Amino acid sequence: MAGTRQHPLVNTTEPNYLEDTFNYDLPPLIKFENHPVIEVIDGRAVEFNFNDVQQRDLVVTDTTFRDGQQARPPYTVDQMVHIYDLLAKLGGPHGVIRQTEFFLYTKNDRETLDRCRALGHPYPECTGWIRAVKGDFRLVKEAGLQETGMLTSCSDYHIFDKLKFKSRKECMDSYCEVVAAAFEAGVRPRCHLEDLTRADVDGFVLPFVDRLMEMSAPVPDQLKVKIRLCDTMGFGLPYPNVALPRSIPKLIYKLHVECGVPSERLEWHGHNDFHRVHANASTAWLYGCNASNTTLFGYGERTGNPPLEGAIMEYIALKGGLCGIDTTVITELAQYMQSIGLPIPDNYPFVGKHFNTTRAGIHAGGLRSNERIYNIMNTTKLLGRPPRVAITDKSGADGTTIWINDFFGLQGDARLNKIKCHKVCRWVLDQYEVEKRLTAISDEELETQVRELMPEQWAKYKRPAAAGGA
Amino acid sequence: MATIAERVRSVTARVLKIDVDRIKPEDHFTADLGAESVQSIELVASFEEEFGIEMDEDAALSVDTVGGAVDFITKVCREQGVEVGP
Repeated sequence: MAGTRQHPLVNTTEPNYLEDTFNYDLPPLIKFENHPVIEVIDGRAVEFNFNDVQQRDLVVTDTTFRDGQQARPPYTVDQMVHIYDLLAKLGGPHGVIRQTEFFLYTKNDRETLDRCRALGHPYPECTGWIRAVKGDFRLVKEAGLQETGMLTSCSDYHIFDKLKFKSRKECMDSYCEVVAAAFEAGVRPRCHLEDLTRADVDGFVLPFVDRLMEMSAPVPDQLKVKIRLCDTMGFGLPYPNVALPRSIPKLIYKLHVECGVPSERLEWHGHNDFHRVHANASTAWLYGCNASNTTLFGYGERTGNPPLEGAIMEYIALKGGLCGIDTTVITELAQYMQSIGLPIPDNYPFVGKHFNTTRAGIHAGGLRSNERIYNIMNTTKLLGRPPRVAITDKSGADGTTIWINDFFGLQGDARLNKIKCHKVCRWVLDQYEVEKRLTAISDEELETQVRELMPEQWAKYKRPAAAGGA
Repeated sequence: MATIAERVRSVTARVLKIDVDRIKPEDHFTADLGAESVQSIELVASFEEEFGIEMDEDAALSVDTVGGAVDFITKVCREQGVEVGP
């Protein structure tokens, strides 16, 4: 088939690095063209303007201590207080990480909450999480919280089979009683529409949210109901033209426009059962939820939640700047979480041991001439993690030479060339060609070889501070 | 005293583990003498050691024949004031 258009080469001798998008000191920016995005809803073409994210008060919210903790043994109080402190530092003074939620049921839960608030950080604001049970508001009130999440499951799987209601009306009436109790207690209810992406949207969800909006009309702004859209099983889909209840664009439109819930009272909470968790959360931001609910490193029930650090990078990419965020705290948080037993896979983005490690020799050669060729962004500046090479049979002399230079901490003209490193390069090659080795070479093994085969450089460059190979 | 050409052939034979008598000036290190990637670097390192010189890595690795290596090394020796034989 013939193409519809010819595309002439734009010849140049000067590279065009597309710096407007790939500003190395930031995550690559997300730019939208100046056209609306169209979604056909109930037979009508509805326009969405993604560029409005520049003006909207997008926020990241955190559930590391609630959903995150459902996926691991309990944190100690000290651990949670330290994590909270780091979240405040990461999110910065403008509260990009706006809220985090706490269980309120045990003595430890309440002590944690008190100690976190005693740190005096304005953000993340502390909110609660309770069952949709009137009696639980005593806990919220006693804790002095302004807002609490409450379970208002909305699929028939939950309504009939989990919660054992006899009818949808009985269920809705029960939820609304608890909402009324929240208003009475002076606490803002955040209704968690559990299992929304498997619910009867027209038959239950929209009527329920209509009623919540009616109940919110007479109460002060700070008490009006917030809605959390819970993709409990990870069924949500970001693509256009998907049918309800799985369509994220349509769900948000229905709640935002048809029910009239403002963006600042809409929050997306996803799960990763089908590997869509981060894209789904970002989609929710674009289509009108201002809040994206996350957990550190995506730890959460089953396959987890949107990773907080991913949302932070997405936020910067959408907004075009750091907005007070200190991204280096992501590395600090990862190190801390690993120190208390949370495993992070080596290839996990932004924080895994090898997230910016290059193995192939031809890639290492590129890294050697310009680190931007194979490093996603300035990871040294943004995360305190310079790009690295790992040594295998695919690393070649380029890879080994980079490893040695990084190990010695040499920069610029001081870096050694391959000629100076040839003995170690030979040793690496022989490991695979002569010794028939099948595993990667560890940093410790290479360090031993460098000490033995490059004694002059070892004596000149090796200082205690450079230990560890990076 | 051995000439530069003889010393280059001798080093090449030792590094590539081949008979010195089969090395000709027009031989390509890679195509004719079978030098692999790391061996090319080892050759350059051995030439540096043999002649007591330092060579630019990219320039040295771009030399592809034995005769070319003789010419290149002669030039570097002159530039760096290193006395070599006839």
